[in-house]
Amino acid sequence: MSNDDKRLSTMISRRTLLHSMAAAGAATGLPMLGGTRAFAQEPQKPREIIVRAWGGSWVEALKAGVSDPFTKMTGIAVRHDLTEDNEIQPKVWAAVAQKRVPPIHINWDTTTNATKSALRGVTEDLSDLPNLKSTTELAKPVGLDGYPIVNTYGYVYVLAYRPEAFPNGAPKSWKDLLDPKLKRRIAFYNDGIGFHFPAQVAGGGKIEDIPNNMQPAWDFVTMMKQQEPLLGEDPDFTTWFQKGEIDAACTISTNAREARKNGIDIKWVVPEEGAKFDTDGLWIPKGLPANELYWAKQYINLALTKEAQQVWLDGLGLPGVVPGLTPPADLANDPSYPTKPEDFKNLIRVSSKVQVQNESDWFAKFKQIMQG
Amino acid sequence: MTFGDFQAVKDTSFDLPKGKFLTILGPSGSGKTTLLRLIAGFEKPTVGEIFINGQPVNAVPPYKRAIGMVFQKLALFPHMTAAENVAFPLKMRRHDARNIGKQVERYLELVKLGGYGTRRIHELSGGQQQRVAIARALVFEPDLLLLDEPLAALDVKLREEMQLEFRRIQKELGVTTINVTHDQREALVVSDEIIIMNDGAIQQKAQPVRAYRAPENPFVAHFIGVTNFIEAVAVSANGSTVTLTCKGRELVGVLAAGSAGLAQAARCTCAIRAEQVRIAPSQDRLGKLETQVRGQVNDAIFEGERIVYEIKVAELGDVLMKVFDHDPVGHLQFGPGDIVHLGWNAKDLHVFAK
Amino acid sequence: MRTYRVAYPLTWRAMDVLEAFVAFVWPPSFRAAVPYLFLLPALILVGLLVLGLIQIADTSMRVLDRDTFLLSDAYSLDNYRRALTEPFFATIAGRSIIGSLIVTVITLVFAFPYAYLMVRTSSSALRKFLLVALFLPFFIGQVVRAYGWLIILGNQGIVNDILGHAGIPTLRLLYNYPAVLFGLVQYMLPFAVLMLAPALTAIPEELEAAAGSLGASWLKTFRHVVLPLARPGLVGAGLVVMTLSLTDFAIPAMLGGGSQDFIANAIYDQFFRTSDQGLGATLSLLLVAVGSLLVGVVFTAFGAGTLAMGGRRK
Repeated sequence: MSNDDKRLSTMISRRTLLHSMAAAGAATGLPMLGGTRAFAQEPQKPREIIVRAWGGSWVEALKAGVSDPFTKMTGIAVRHDLTEDNEIQPKVWAAVAQKRVPPIHINWDTTTNATKSALRGVTEDLSDLPNLKSTTELAKPVGLDGYPIVNTYGYVYVLAYRPEAFPNGAPKSWKDLLDPKLKRRIAFYNDGIGFHFPAQVAGGGKIEDIPNNMQPAWDFVTMMKQQEPLLGEDPDFTTWFQKGEIDAACTISTNAREARKNGIDIKWVVPEEGAKFDTDGLWIPKGLPANELYWAKQYINLALTKEAQQVWLDGLGLPGVVPGLTPPADLANDPSYPTKPEDFKNLIRVSSKVQVQNESDWFAKFKQIMQG
Repeated sequence: MTFGDFQAVKDTSFDLPKGKFLTILGPSGSGKTTLLRLIAGFEKPTVGEIFINGQPVNAVPPYKRAIGMVFQKLALFPHMTAAENVAFPLKMRRHDARNIGKQVERYLELVKLGGYGTRRIHELSGGQQQRVAIARALVFEPDLLLLDEPLAALDVKLREEMQLEFRRIQKELGVTTINVTHDQREALVVSDEIIIMNDGAIQQKAQPVRAYRAPENPFVAHFIGVTNFIEAVAVSANGSTVTLTCKGRELVGVLAAGSAGLAQAARCTCAIRAEQVRIAPSQDRLGKLETQVRGQVNDAIFEGERIVYEIKVAELGDVLMKVFDHDPVGHLQFGPGDIVHLGWNAKDLHVFAK
Repeated sequence: MRTYRVAYPLTWRAMDVLEAFVAFVWPPSFRAAVPYLFLLPALILVGLLVLGLIQIADTSMRVLDRDTFLLSDAYSLDNYRRALTEPFFATIAGRSIIGSLIVTVITLVFAFPYAYLMVRTSSSALRKFLLVALFLPFFIGQVVRAYGWLIILGNQGIVNDILGHAGIPTLRLLYNYPAVLFGLVQYMLPFAVLMLAPALTAIPEELEAAAGSLGASWLKTFRHVVLPLARPGLVGAGLVVMTLSLTDFAIPAMLGGGSQDFIANAIYDQFFRTSDQGLGATLSLLLVAVGSLLVGVVFTAFGAGTLAMGGRRK
């Protein structure tokens, strides 16, 4: 392991002067120069690396922005494993516990789930990735030592709505969802994720009281239950908006944008109480052979370049972790695409560690209220 | 009664006086079971009307007709005891619960099953199950008892025993009974009257002796008993006595009740029972029998109490005749190829016009 | 002899060789062991199941440490305490058990006439139609069928379209308890009919005619003859429907709109959403216990109906 680290640092010192994509361009030529033996210090290349990803437009975006350039650069094929993130987790945990080679090289994961893996100690430290130097502080997971995960972009749990159902203008507050007209016409995640924190504010509580006193949040959720909301997961929101089942929802902006791309009139806001901001990231499970670990790190390193981020995140419509990215045309100055410090003013961000230690209680509490 | 294009029962009008035991006899597919189901009310006639006690019952569902029925496979309820089976019709007819027990016991006694009431159906023998089925069909004192070949599945000894049992119970209770069977022996043994059916139509209705001795058509003659048929042409008639010719050989017979009047040279079918033909090694042993022919033994089948011979008679156009011989004293026996002499009386040759 | 040998087909000789080989590998004296040999695969499967249950039982007594996301080394009954005292789990258990009982009753009520007609009809065309209509849903998986209901019963679905033409405002037909029960009944119906049909076939039609001739109306015949004799089928079908409904995951997840979780959904959440395998294992074991208890109750109440005809007197 220490040998690999040394090799990596020699590479870093060689590359610091180069723009990372230029380095990538140079690397692209390697296979033609006679394969892996051309550089004695470069570990043997695996035939392929496996990246767990979400399906649909998500994996398409990752492929175009990161995987394809990586294959072009290194000659290593990238296979996308579309197992659900929360279903791959126990498999990876079991593999590490039994000292087997894990089923994937890289996990594209929510920061919260990744933090659980980090706390469990199944993640490799990524602090030595050269491109971390050029990222914003968003890339660093809050409340963890080092970089067991690298955040690659952020997203906002916005209040998405159909303007048709709000003739008096956009909703300004989460309390606007209590309008009797919206009974059975609103939706949340079935565990309430994304809604717990703004509910805390809307219920008259303080962000600082999370997690010790969240009674205001539960009071507000209890009021919201009278509206008999639908409860679902990511794909449900897009479907429900398209099928006219709901008028408003607390959901990740990406789902609302997906419905809008399909021709549904839909808008979103960050209400005055704020909206939850969270991140997704990439991490590497422990137990990989040294050479495969090396190339997996190269993959994540590439994902942190501006060029890769621009293509990948254009597909997702989400703000990245390197400065100077150009937002997609439809998302310029959008509250769900924060770029400037003042954009973050109204977004609620809670450390991953606090979240993972408490979220099962929050989920249970939310379900208890909603399903009671 | 028609099934689709097929007419299962047609042209079947008959009356049955109270207290009589009637058997409907016929081969399978003759419509006898359909007739029974019509009477029971499981099928509805497309044309015609059925009367019970002078009342039309076409519109009356089975459960409101006072008819007891013993089914081919008995149809005893396997989840009930013998007594519960017998009590079933009383309960369904809302009899006074206090009397049901007594009535059930009385009828179990009647069928000689006293004390068997608590047995489950599968714990009873075939004969005992028969008796339960009879008791169940009679316990509510129906106007009419229907028997749908309930004895068909029993072995010969038990069947014969049950036939007499049916007869006894029927006489004891005086219940009007219609029995359906393809077993001619059963029909002759148990019935006051027999209806022979074929192709959905009644062939003959008569008392057993008459049905046997005076068949009205070749079908009846063929279906009951073992009968030889000879094709012949009428020459002359004198009253019911007919003179015929078969391959130049003259025959004399009696015109059957169903066939009225014979034209000169009319083609006829003549029938004679196997037991009414005498077989002898020489002509002089045939005595005064009016018709005598010569034949050759084709086959001899030993059946214990009698021997059945199959005789080829050349002078009647190589017809194969079956002849019984149960001479208990002479122990005569012929083998295949033996030349024998056959003889019978003219009154036993039934002549049917075609 | 030679001609005999020519007439002796090659395949026979091949069989002789094969039989000699089998006799060598498995001498006739071993023959008594053959039935047990056939039992072996089933025993292995059941054995694996038991091993799995033991593993689950072990996991169920370990508590998740949220600082390390590891299960504790020490045993504790804390998961059981949570499962049995937290009102959320009681709500879900109640919903699942009551739901499975309602679904069982409704399914049997619907399946019985269907199976009866299928078995008794004299029209072979109708019988074929009923059979095809029964088997078709089997080729369409549970999830696809649930999606079908989302389309048909949705706010813009066919049913609301028709209601709209009749002047009835759009109704929320999905994402509630009745929708889940409806989906389960529809899913279970073929199972119930298939379990009932053989039991009804075993009741001779003559018995019903007999009951009629003995004075029982159609209703009384049904009540006193058909129903008691169909009991083995009803018990079998009821058990299958009840256990499958109790443990169902997809229908509550899809037609419940996230607010109608059954026990299986709660188990999924523990394993895959909150990563608490200990509590997940506890809930799994409790589900097994509840299911076994229900089966036990049915057996004591209605007898081992599927195994024997008799048993109970009036």
